[in-house]
Amino acid sequence: MSNKLERRGFLKVAGASIVGLAGLQLMRPSKVSSEDTASGERQWAMVIDQSKCTGCGHCTLSCRAHNDVSPGISWNEVLPAGKVGEHQVFIARPCMHCENAPCVDVCMVGASYYRPDGIVMMNYDKCIGCRYCEVACPYQARSFNWKEFDGDNPAVPTWGQPEIERRPRGVPEKCSFCYQRIDRGLEHGLTPGVDPAATPACVVTCPTGARIFGDLKDPESEVSKIINSQHTVRLRDDLGTAPRVYYVLAKPDDFKEVEA
Amino acid sequence: MINNLRARLQPTPWMAWLAFLGIFLIAGVIGGVMVLSDGLSLTNLTDLVPWGLWITIDLSSIALAAGAFSLCAAVYLIGLKRYEPIARTATFVGLIGYSMAMLCLFMDIGRPFKFYQAFIYWNTHSLLWEVTMCIALYFTVLLLESMPIIANLKWLSSRYPKLTAKMSKVHHYAPYLAIAGLFLSSLHQSSLGAAYGVLKARPFWYKPEMSVLFMLSAIIGGISMTLFTSMLASLLTKRAKIDDKLIEKLSLFVGWALVGYFYWRFWGTLSMTYTYEPGRTEGLELLTKGPLAFNFWIGEILIGIVVPMILLLNRKTRTNRFWRMSALLMVVGGLVAYRWNINLAGALVVLSYLPGQPIVSYTSYTPSFVEWIVGLGVIAFGFLVFSLGVRYLRVVDHHFVEKEHIPVDVKAAEAATV
Repeated sequence: MSNKLERRGFLKVAGASIVGLAGLQLMRPSKVSSEDTASGERQWAMVIDQSKCTGCGHCTLSCRAHNDVSPGISWNEVLPAGKVGEHQVFIARPCMHCENAPCVDVCMVGASYYRPDGIVMMNYDKCIGCRYCEVACPYQARSFNWKEFDGDNPAVPTWGQPEIERRPRGVPEKCSFCYQRIDRGLEHGLTPGVDPAATPACVVTCPTGARIFGDLKDPESEVSKIINSQHTVRLRDDLGTAPRVYYVLAKPDDFKEVEA
Repeated sequence: MINNLRARLQPTPWMAWLAFLGIFLIAGVIGGVMVLSDGLSLTNLTDLVPWGLWITIDLSSIALAAGAFSLCAAVYLIGLKRYEPIARTATFVGLIGYSMAMLCLFMDIGRPFKFYQAFIYWNTHSLLWEVTMCIALYFTVLLLESMPIIANLKWLSSRYPKLTAKMSKVHHYAPYLAIAGLFLSSLHQSSLGAAYGVLKARPFWYKPEMSVLFMLSAIIGGISMTLFTSMLASLLTKRAKIDDKLIEKLSLFVGWALVGYFYWRFWGTLSMTYTYEPGRTEGLELLTKGPLAFNFWIGEILIGIVVPMILLLNRKTRTNRFWRMSALLMVVGGLVAYRWNINLAGALVVLSYLPGQPIVSYTSYTPSFVEWIVGLGVIAFGFLVFSLGVRYLRVVDHHFVEKEHIPVDVKAAEAATV
């Protein structure tokens, strides 16, 4: 009799403690992880000026070359976004590098993670290809490698030289703010956003200067100045993802000046 | 010698059944090898609909395996001992379900041979991490729970009697295993729904009741699956012996549970009809008026809930074996339809992220040939293992009571009297 009771008691305690432990882990708020994101002394951000974007697609192509992206995939898509006045306008869409990134939240192996400088990175070695991040991303910023990308990259060498390793088949890939250029540039004492060699390829290549890159924590950086002085929007801000890509939307007046 | 061989090759219904399953199995293996060598480009999955037929099979087989944990909990924790033989069947069905799910997942992930990394690298905040861990652990529990069943294999017990004796003894720990099973299953059955339910980017999925609906439908579908397969086996072979009264009692429970499920499903759906919400409203329209409407109204609601609910609650139809079996099969079908619909209704609606109110567009998805043959191969594998279980392991034998359990109880009683 006492034996039975002991067993029951043990089971209760064991059950409760397991539930408690698991519950604590699961309910850990994602804020914990996003605190890591803003911890770095630099916070990279991009501003895209819609009034200057002509939809030429140079950014997409140079991105393909510098990051060795398959022709079937765009890390950096340029989409038509309706008309302002009589002008067709565009939205260029890199990864938003959200402060509260849904992809990082859901990734089961932690292949998607925050760098201290705010870049949402992919560790392609960890990824097993479940595609949960793709389903979770509101910006369709991720493209899955359905096929092996072998052979020549048609964007090379016209648009640049590959700087990073090609991704294997079976992982979703996305824009990394050209982290390789930033990291190497910083090592050489360059300033990302100012020195082209330390700045994302799409920003460097943009013929109209529609893209501006820099450090949000530096009030003197070009991005900080624009964000503090002009009206900027972030895509799907209602979702609370807090993207680090800001848009200056085109107004009808912008085009009048150009024409005049 | 030759005569013996001839007799062995006589076309029996059993051989015909094996051959029939074999066709699907071989096709499935061929498809699987194709996918492993050429990658997921052979599927019709896209960046917008990255989950399709295989995820439906995976989710359905996990849900239909839920009879194992629910019935084991009922028998060993609540103390409804007389259902033990059915819990035994359910455990085996559960083992098959999880094997099918893991096969399907293996095909579905982009880097199948790196699946083990899911156990090395942990993001404990991810629902899929939790699901992976639970599935792996629960599969272990199911294996342990199935040990006494596998010990019935004559081939094994005649050669390794000591081993099988040990395997049978695992049954002594059935209550502990039932607790582990209940805990792990409650977690991941709900989390599979929550995996959809936490995605803010997909408004049709983004709601708290996803986990409740997944859990409820899994318990109902899982028990129905166990009961249906038991009845089917007993129709087809004398090796399967069922206790019709037990099945009827459980069917009544399924009937009432369907009422509860219907209640949740009704309010969950109705509340979505109020006020336009980009993405959510369109998802609902896909379901109720669009390409998924037939699956929804006929497959999910009528055949999946309403008709079996009536058939199982009405005494006359419930006691009639034909109607009861039909009703149980309908519940199983309804569950598969639910998993398919819920996955696609959320995925087919594409929300724009351009400034201003999101613009909604639609995409489409039809499984490719390779997806079908691999999927059917996985299902054939399930049928094959179940058939072998019925034939060689007395999986469906409701008059069979595990030997180990009784002596242990007697000993305890003796000890108490002394």
